[in-house]
Amino acid sequence: MKGLLRYAITRILLTIPMIFILLTVVFLVLRVMPGDPVSAMLGAHAPERVIEEKKEELGLNKPIIIQYFEYLGQLARFDLGESMVLKQKVTDPIKEKLPATIELTLWGMFFTLAIGVPLGAYAANKRRTGRDFGIRLYGNVAYCIPVYWMGLMMQLVFGVWLKWLPIAGRTSPRIMSSLFSNTGFYLIDTLLAGNLRAFGDVAVHLLLPSLTLGIVLSGVFVRLTRANMLDVLKSDFILAARARGVSEKLVVYKHGLKNAFIPILTMLGLQFAILLAGAVLTETTFSWPGMGRLLMERIYLRDYPTVQGVIVVFAIMVSVISLLVDLLYAAVDPRVKY
Amino acid sequence: MKRTFIAVMLMLALAAFSFAGGQVDEPTTLVYGTTEKVTDMDTAHAYDFHTWEIFQNIYQGLLAYTPGTTELVPGLAESYTANAAGDEYVFKLREGLTFTDGTPFNAEAVKWSIDRVIALEGDPSWLVTDFVKAVEVVDEYRVKFILPDSIAYFPSLVATVPYFPLNPNVYPEDRIVREPSELVGGELVGLGPYKVLSFKRDEEVVLEVNPDYYGPAPKVERIIIRYFADATTMRLAIEAGEIDLAYKTLNPSDIKDLSTKSDIITNQLQGPYIRYICYETSESVFADKRVRQAISALVNRQDFIDKVYLGQNSPLYSMVPMGMIYHTDDFKEALGDGNIALAESLLIEAGYSADNPFIFELWYTPSHYGDTEVHLAEVLKDQFEKSDMVKVEIKSAEWAAYKDKWKGKEMPMYLLGWYPDYIDPDNYTAAFAGTSGSKGMGINFSDPEWDALFNEEQTNADPAVRQAVFETLQQKWTVDVPTTPLFQGNLYVFTSSNVSGVKIGPTLIFNYNQLEMK
Repeated sequence: MKGLLRYAITRILLTIPMIFILLTVVFLVLRVMPGDPVSAMLGAHAPERVIEEKKEELGLNKPIIIQYFEYLGQLARFDLGESMVLKQKVTDPIKEKLPATIELTLWGMFFTLAIGVPLGAYAANKRRTGRDFGIRLYGNVAYCIPVYWMGLMMQLVFGVWLKWLPIAGRTSPRIMSSLFSNTGFYLIDTLLAGNLRAFGDVAVHLLLPSLTLGIVLSGVFVRLTRANMLDVLKSDFILAARARGVSEKLVVYKHGLKNAFIPILTMLGLQFAILLAGAVLTETTFSWPGMGRLLMERIYLRDYPTVQGVIVVFAIMVSVISLLVDLLYAAVDPRVKY
Repeated sequence: MKRTFIAVMLMLALAAFSFAGGQVDEPTTLVYGTTEKVTDMDTAHAYDFHTWEIFQNIYQGLLAYTPGTTELVPGLAESYTANAAGDEYVFKLREGLTFTDGTPFNAEAVKWSIDRVIALEGDPSWLVTDFVKAVEVVDEYRVKFILPDSIAYFPSLVATVPYFPLNPNVYPEDRIVREPSELVGGELVGLGPYKVLSFKRDEEVVLEVNPDYYGPAPKVERIIIRYFADATTMRLAIEAGEIDLAYKTLNPSDIKDLSTKSDIITNQLQGPYIRYICYETSESVFADKRVRQAISALVNRQDFIDKVYLGQNSPLYSMVPMGMIYHTDDFKEALGDGNIALAESLLIEAGYSADNPFIFELWYTPSHYGDTEVHLAEVLKDQFEKSDMVKVEIKSAEWAAYKDKWKGKEMPMYLLGWYPDYIDPDNYTAAFAGTSGSKGMGINFSDPEWDALFNEEQTNADPAVRQAVFETLQQKWTVDVPTTPLFQGNLYVFTSSNVSGVKIGPTLIFNYNQLEMK
């Protein structure tokens, strides 16, 4: 337990320089990019005097190095600053949009695992059969499909042709989210509000975008699970289990799968970052009001503090998930010690 | 794993079942989809088409337009009079109107609102500061606008958003409001037919009928504006019936497809939106007007309209759009379309040849005018390079950088579009070729003779004089070519079959209170 704690603290401390390097790059890139937030904010007709006053007010006329250290000072006080475009704290839109992205990402991850892992395990068990071939083909195709194209196809089939599922947004327009919005996690909020109709509406709106993410990312898990399961199924303990007459289902899906899970967990941590990147595209395709869309909108407006704030939050999320995955190793494999 | 999976699936099935379940009583609601964005919730600072559209439905001007026409009619003012010199206007306000919180609507409120626009110096404040010297309260219901000079089109200006009276007890006097939450009471409500019920930036704005509106109550009780990040998603949403109305901006291929759907109504309107080429005329390779004429002659309007916009826009041969008073087709007669012979003779005159080609950069901005912009730039390049004497390099910059570049004279040729600020030919001409306006657009064209003509049309209210001036200006445009008009945009509003009453017209004002649902 002591070792585990020491490991977790070391990992958390290592996150700090990582975020620092990332932020430095983002800070510099944003300022090197052509386009000026004050012009974007005040419009083309603003008098030069007003532009200069605004730059002064926002500290944009100071040397970049001064701006940089001031920003670091702010961060050290856990303050992400104020948006340059809207009169609000950077944390305000993040607080509003983050739950939408987390909800989408978690459900995307759920579908990724729910599709990828069982299919991979099944393919390994049915090695060199037509079903194995079909699943491998699915894995390769899913892996290659761009997420926005998949999103459009899902919208076309399930939204327009079959009219089973809604196409865009977190709720139907006629469901007033302001009536139940509390934590920002709409599934939870609607349940807390006891509004089953809204809960159903939120759930069906989640299906298409999270399924899209799930299908696209499941490809890599199909391939990974199958490959690992093939190795595990050759192990002595599997042979021993079979010799003792344990049923084939238990051998494959309990003992085999559990032992093939370490690399899957590693991939899960890595895919989480990809899932967040995919969320930017998925959120655009499904008009999902999350962090991805926030990032895109604010990049166009050159809202430096908000862009930096969103990147910091993304970086922290990826770090936390990586840490959690590492800690989960110990739970899955008793041989892993910290 | 299996049990978890089954449990989750059951939960989703239950959710879907409950979703399909009972409906509750709702007001007549129309869901309107758009890819536009809302900017600042302040008439003193917002300066974009969509935010103005919302203001036009929650606030009212002293004068207004009959929906779908350019006819100015009384709004919050019952009438107005101008003095003989044309530099003073007195508006008689409607009596007995109050804002929702009980604040009376009177001449003080009008003066307060105009003074606020002047003091805050927001983006559209020039629409007031360039034309109004002072505002005086004559009595409780009469307000006087004192102008620096006679302005022929002042009533059109008064109908624009920066002139809309606001509630002095709700808006702060000394700062621009960006979110409704910054207002006293946190509610966006004016004297228009609707009020804002909820506001979620980039997600959803909900409008509801304003019970204090003095006019007839709108038939659609609630308008939900849904913001789409992607035009194709919006097209799929109207096909799937998730939205009742889709307006601005669909891709040409989606417009073509949707126009063929029997269950979707296509409303096609000729708007006052124009596109044109700008030249930096003071220092760039386009300082010589002969090359500007030559390049204009090479443009083939119908060709790019067919290729890029699938025939959905109209060729434009003047900066004054079709359907507006004093419009003429001078570019068609003087320079034509794809006129390579004329272009080459002008280029030879300017010292260019096939061995010494005219080389320039053509700039466009990739997202501000939609996904088709890159194709427009490519087709124009092809048209220009039909002459061996021309070589074009295409370059692009995102909107924020684009604006900086035109100010910095970094783009010799660039593509822009124009929605009118006020409905008058002056707004389509002086803004580009008057010394002051031209500088602001990065064109940097300046000619005292032109400025004198602009001054004449701006100060003389006689229609015959104004007509003569605008005809001269349009003719001179083909000689000096500060810009090249390309096309006039057609507007497409798609609605489900149960929606009627879409009236937008040349003013581009979309009055939601005209909408009806069966």
